[in-house]
Amino acid sequence: MSDITIGNEHLDASWFLILAALLFIIGAIGILVRRNPLVILVCIELMLNAVNLTLVTFSRQLQNSEGQLFALMSITVAAAEAVVGLGILVDIFKDREVEDVDELSELRG
Amino acid sequence: MATFIFLVAAAFCIAGAVGIVLFRDAIRSVLSLVAVMLALSSLYLMLSAQFIFAVQVIVYSGAVMVLFLFVIALMGPVREQPSTRLRFQGLLAVIVAGSFAGLVVAMLGGVRYHAPDKGAVLSTFGSVESIAYGLFTTYLYPFELTSLLLLVAAVGAIYMSRRERP
Repeated sequence: MSDITIGNEHLDASWFLILAALLFIIGAIGILVRRNPLVILVCIELMLNAVNLTLVTFSRQLQNSEGQLFALMSITVAAAEAVVGLGILVDIFKDREVEDVDELSELRG
Repeated sequence: MATFIFLVAAAFCIAGAVGIVLFRDAIRSVLSLVAVMLALSSLYLMLSAQFIFAVQVIVYSGAVMVLFLFVIALMGPVREQPSTRLRFQGLLAVIVAGSFAGLVVAMLGGVRYHAPDKGAVLSTFGSVESIAYGLFTTYLYPFELTSLLLLVAAVGAIYMSRRERP
């Protein structure tokens, strides 16, 4: 039931899901390990892409195009997030050089 | 052939993702993300999501990545130094990521697949028409909200990048 027929071959949907899970976990590790704020944004984009792959996979497996619509919405939100995040970064970089996100702790309560 | 294409694209994805985490230069991380996105777009094409494929190539590997590269060009090259603040950050990251990976594996084991919807026509599946039909009927309201979101993001970015603020 989880077969996805491509051409005359059958691929299992779980392959795509495992790949998406791997990408998501690698993105999470990147966010935890890296300290350059720009690279952390890149890792967030990677995680969003992994989720998109899951949505498209289930859309294809269920043969229901709503998953693709959700993926489209998520791409839009990711683009808006990148614009705002990079805008904030550029604004901070105008004042000083930031090599470590831990330096951005002015708002700490 | 499909299996071969999947394996090649998956290898590119994983290699690019590992590259994002391991490269010390920000620009190499961003270019690795471009590789991941192009490989993912070929997977979308395999999953008969032609429109998502085009959007992925144009919006993600085109527009968003150019934005990232512009910011790096503004910042100048920044090499990440080994951490000085959180000494246990590496260990903590391994613990958190390991438990998170366990969670995801447990979740993958519990996936239950439902039978495909009846009546879906695979020859038009994922085409612009089928996407647009959903977007302009059932999901019209979220679609309009998306355009509002983009407007807010554009205005916010312009405001933040102004030199002097009122």
